[in-house]
Amino acid sequence: MDLTGKKTAIIVLTTILWLVITFLGWNDVYLVSMYLGVLLMLLYMVLGVAKQGKVSKKLFFFCLVPWAIVWIISFYLADYYAAIFAGIVPSFTVLGLHPSFGATVVGYWIGGMLTLTAMFMVFKDEWLSKKDWDNFVNKIKEIDETEKGGAH
Amino acid sequence: MSTLAKTLIVSFSFLMIVVSFLIGWWAKRKVTSSEAYFGSTGMFGPFTVGLSSTAAVASAFALVGVPGLLYSTGNGMTFWMLSSAAFAMAYMILGKKVRAMAEIGKVASLGDLSDLRYNNNKVIKITMSLTLFIGCIAYLAAQIKAGSELFGHLLGWDPLLAGFVIFGVLAVYMAISGEVGGLLTQAFQGLVMVVAGIVIVVVFFNITGGFGEVLKAVSQAGEVTANGITKEFSPDILNAWGSMPRVVSMTWMLIPILGTVGQPQVITRMYALKDPRDMPKMGLYTAISHTMVGLLTIVVSNGALYLVATGKIAPLENGDRAIYAFADYAGIVAQLFVYAGVLAAAMSSASLFLSICSTVVSRDIPDALGFKVEPEKQVRISRISMLVLGVISIVFSVTQGEMVGILGTFGWGTLMSATFPVFVLGLLWNKANEKGVMWGSIVGLILNIISFAGFKWPGALPWYFNVVSISIAVTVVVSLLTKEQVLNKKLEAVIDL
Repeated sequence: MDLTGKKTAIIVLTTILWLVITFLGWNDVYLVSMYLGVLLMLLYMVLGVAKQGKVSKKLFFFCLVPWAIVWIISFYLADYYAAIFAGIVPSFTVLGLHPSFGATVVGYWIGGMLTLTAMFMVFKDEWLSKKDWDNFVNKIKEIDETEKGGAH
Repeated sequence: MSTLAKTLIVSFSFLMIVVSFLIGWWAKRKVTSSEAYFGSTGMFGPFTVGLSSTAAVASAFALVGVPGLLYSTGNGMTFWMLSSAAFAMAYMILGKKVRAMAEIGKVASLGDLSDLRYNNNKVIKITMSLTLFIGCIAYLAAQIKAGSELFGHLLGWDPLLAGFVIFGVLAVYMAISGEVGGLLTQAFQGLVMVVAGIVIVVVFFNITGGFGEVLKAVSQAGEVTANGITKEFSPDILNAWGSMPRVVSMTWMLIPILGTVGQPQVITRMYALKDPRDMPKMGLYTAISHTMVGLLTIVVSNGALYLVATGKIAPLENGDRAIYAFADYAGIVAQLFVYAGVLAAAMSSASLFLSICSTVVSRDIPDALGFKVEPEKQVRISRISMLVLGVISIVFSVTQGEMVGILGTFGWGTLMSATFPVFVLGLLWNKANEKGVMWGSIVGLILNIISFAGFKWPGALPWYFNVVSISIAVTVVVSLLTKEQVLNKKLEAVIDL
């Protein structure tokens, strides 16, 4: 996925998202704000993982997208089960927890770590390989030498 | 609490202080440059830096205030404490770029990063440093107050004396070995918190029989009254949202998760890592250690709810007593680890924030004002400022309780508003220019001060959400409307990495 020429559009979109979420927050629209928050974070991560403007498909489809889906589902279920069991004892539990909170623990917490943290480890070379880093360091050295040469 | 229990708790906690001091003292041999003293730049592996990051992020508020809120208002704030994936997200967004900045110039502080990115722009550096100072001094004061009052109460000492004994030692080892000592002692204190988490989780399951039993007890308890205090129970307090407005839970999801990337205790640790390719591994270590701290807060609050709901202890006068009430009921092993864990949380965050405050006062702001000082002299000045700031903070925190409470509203969001436009936008987007970031930083600083003065924002959102949002918008809009900044080739290489 090539972001060349699209970074400004993405930054503008993230800024709009910040403002929309703030406005929705003023009006107590919490669930949509949380979904938009996931999109906001996804966009920042897309910008962050890009190498030379390109996003690894493996990182995007096996790490970022599953993370976004898991979190959106967990927020939905947290809200859904809170409404279903409002004021009453829930008819089932998740790991002994209220189903609404169970969705947060399983999706937001554990799911977040399995999709983001663990998959980040699995695909670490897609984020920064040894070759990428060595190339970067060499490039900086070359620029330094060129600048020194220019100074002489 | 029996005298024997008090003696054991105090001995255990003071042993931790002594070990921290010895680590700090030992670390001075590693301080071979001003970069090492101010930033530990490129010095440590992922395990040490990861533990240090968790310890610096998890403050005394996380261990005492959060269980208090969970006890009083239900699960809403768990969105904050279960944000263990935030570290991986922060490293993905900014990790390699921040670490790469240390390859293109001398980086020992956030001010240095700002200089490299924005052509030594003084206004950006000063406004960011001032906002950082406000946020960090607020955090520092809160840590000192919590630690001093707790141990003052436990020992029957004046809190000022307890403050000097605990945080005076901290100021000394920080002055001696700077961020090197700070990072290593934080890693040790992080380990103490993780072990405390494991012990308390085991104790929780032993006492309650698990979360299912807590849910059952809380659902059936109705109202419990003792000593003139009534605690109302309902199954709803154990759903995901608790009794706070749900939009607050939304904030407590978005700000800690995305805000982690803007916390100085996280950004400074990105350039402390020796090999940038270890950052995913560091994300794993921080997630695991943060998980134990998060779990600790949940089990002690659930434990306190269970004990009150089943009539084993009286309703708490103050939610902040939840962690101690649970530990005191559980017995000496839990008490040893809870008190040591709270002290570790206070000390680790305090050392980081003391170091940042000192660097801002002794290095970044004078440098931005044009006072050029040799690196060796900078270290000497910083050692003195670390001690002076340490003493002032201890006296202020213990004697000005009300002011510390007001300052306590600063913190995570304030720090995020200082760093997000400067670093996140600046290192992700090559069109973020000096004017944009400068105005974003100025507006952020002004809005922080206005909010501090009591300005009421619309709705139930915590005020810092508005400040962060507006400062980001100003940065982007001004950057788009003004002339693009020509970046040097090295900076372009960093942004493209």
